[in-house]
Amino acid sequence: MRVYADHEMPPEVERLYRRAVRLERWTLAYLVSAVALMGLVLGQSQAMKAAWVEDLLSLLPAIAFLVASRFREREASQRFPYGFHRVVSAAYLIASFALLVMGVLLFADSAYRLLIRERPSIGLVEVFGFQVWLGWPMIAALVWSAVPAVVLGRMKLPMAARLHDKVLYADAEMNRADWLTAVAAIVGVLGIGAGLWWADAVAAVVISLDITRDGLRNVRSAFADLMDRIPTSPGEEQPLELIAVVERHVRSLAWVREAEVRLREHGHLVTGEVYVVPEETGAPLPHLVQEAVDDLQQLDWRLREVVVVPLPALHDERGSAPRPGKR
Amino acid sequence: MRSWLRVGAGALVVGVVTAGCQWPRDVDGTLERVRGGTLRVGVVEAEPWAAAAEGPRGVEVRLVEELAGRVGAEVSWVPGATAELVSGLHDGALDLVVGGLTAQDPWTAEVTFTRPYVTTRTVVAVPGGEPAPEDVAGRTVRLEADPQLEGLLRSAGAVPQVVPDAGGGTGPVAVEDWELDLHGLRGTGVELQSADHVWAVRSGESGWQVEVERFLLRLDPAHVQRLLDEEGA
Repeated sequence: MRVYADHEMPPEVERLYRRAVRLERWTLAYLVSAVALMGLVLGQSQAMKAAWVEDLLSLLPAIAFLVASRFREREASQRFPYGFHRVVSAAYLIASFALLVMGVLLFADSAYRLLIRERPSIGLVEVFGFQVWLGWPMIAALVWSAVPAVVLGRMKLPMAARLHDKVLYADAEMNRADWLTAVAAIVGVLGIGAGLWWADAVAAVVISLDITRDGLRNVRSAFADLMDRIPTSPGEEQPLELIAVVERHVRSLAWVREAEVRLREHGHLVTGEVYVVPEETGAPLPHLVQEAVDDLQQLDWRLREVVVVPLPALHDERGSAPRPGKR
Repeated sequence: MRSWLRVGAGALVVGVVTAGCQWPRDVDGTLERVRGGTLRVGVVEAEPWAAAAEGPRGVEVRLVEELAGRVGAEVSWVPGATAELVSGLHDGALDLVVGGLTAQDPWTAEVTFTRPYVTTRTVVAVPGGEPAPEDVAGRTVRLEADPQLEGLLRSAGAVPQVVPDAGGGTGPVAVEDWELDLHGLRGTGVELQSADHVWAVRSGESGWQVEVERFLLRLDPAHVQRLLDEEGA
């Protein structure tokens, strides 16, 4: 097995990735401003609190992405012979687990308040000498938190797919959850103004269910990635087309009689084993294997450290190749 | 999820339309009931803010009467201890509780406090002719019986001396800032504590709360001071 090229991604992907890092820095700055502003006008509204907690929470994927971006390109060392790519999977798990816990906590809290029939009220506030109903500045803060979230989320989704970065995807999802949350919170605040005591708590319950569902889906996906599930594209549970591409490529090689491919995600990369049964061509096998490994790397930038293992037979009685499950 | 939001938004539109021109609205329609009706006010004994004993009087009692005049309501006074009045307010048996409540009081889970309308400070002062000490450490400071204030003085390093009337006598004395002129005292710049005065309204009654807060926030500080002078004398 050879030591792989230093560059992690092709130049155009590298550029896109650097843009994503910049975008995440802006996301973080914007979220901090929204959290601070919202903290100032928090009041008693349950939906407002829910929106605020979700904003705090939505810092996590952005932070996880930026922290992971520091480590993921570090070179492999003696203690970490596989490098640091998997920090991306770990970051994804951390962010999604926090999301889940928060969703559950929020649900319990707002459902409890609905149960004891808590009646929040919103009074007056003095702004530059004018007395205004506090609900209006609250709504202004919520709109401020919603509009950029829509824009940022829309920008990140296609990037996440091209970069095969699930943390970025989770963050784009989080931005979507953010603006949905804000809309529901506005409904809650207007509900209080309209004298509907339950509107606020119901809006908070809806928000918490959304967060919980999001968290569950992401935690499940993050766990599955760490359990070496087949690679899937961000946000979809469908197998990557790349698996079929690799299979086709290997089986098309002249010296390969039979082949079996087993791939898994390795952070934002894809790695695994290709078991082949070589034909007797007379060419030296080590060189053929080496060539195949190099070819695979040329096939897609995500394919890294895929190992090609020549065997006399794929599935003989000694079970030499681990049998991949039925697909 | 999206359809839930749509249902919520629809319900909201209905709510807003039925709300008509009044915004924000009460859950239980307190403001509508009070207008031209009866305003039920719980009074906590806390001079000079409120005293219920022989016909209610006090600064906040007089302010409530002004508010009642504005909304055309008759006031029905209910004297009692803070805890029972707060629970009455929570259950809707009262519309308002007054009597020296401050923003730091612990009742916010049951009821809603208005924004503070006046801040009073407990300060160390000296009689008009005496020189003001720079610092109270080691000094004897007189006060009227008040265990909390006594503790504050002790932690400031002063030697508290409880007297029946802080108005007379010589040497430093701990008093409320609004009493200074009344007793011919002069502040020393040492502040022991401050209190943001609030009233309590029933939670969920946003319309009523806004009406009360509008009244309180428009109060002239000089007017409050005048009432304190009259009621504190």
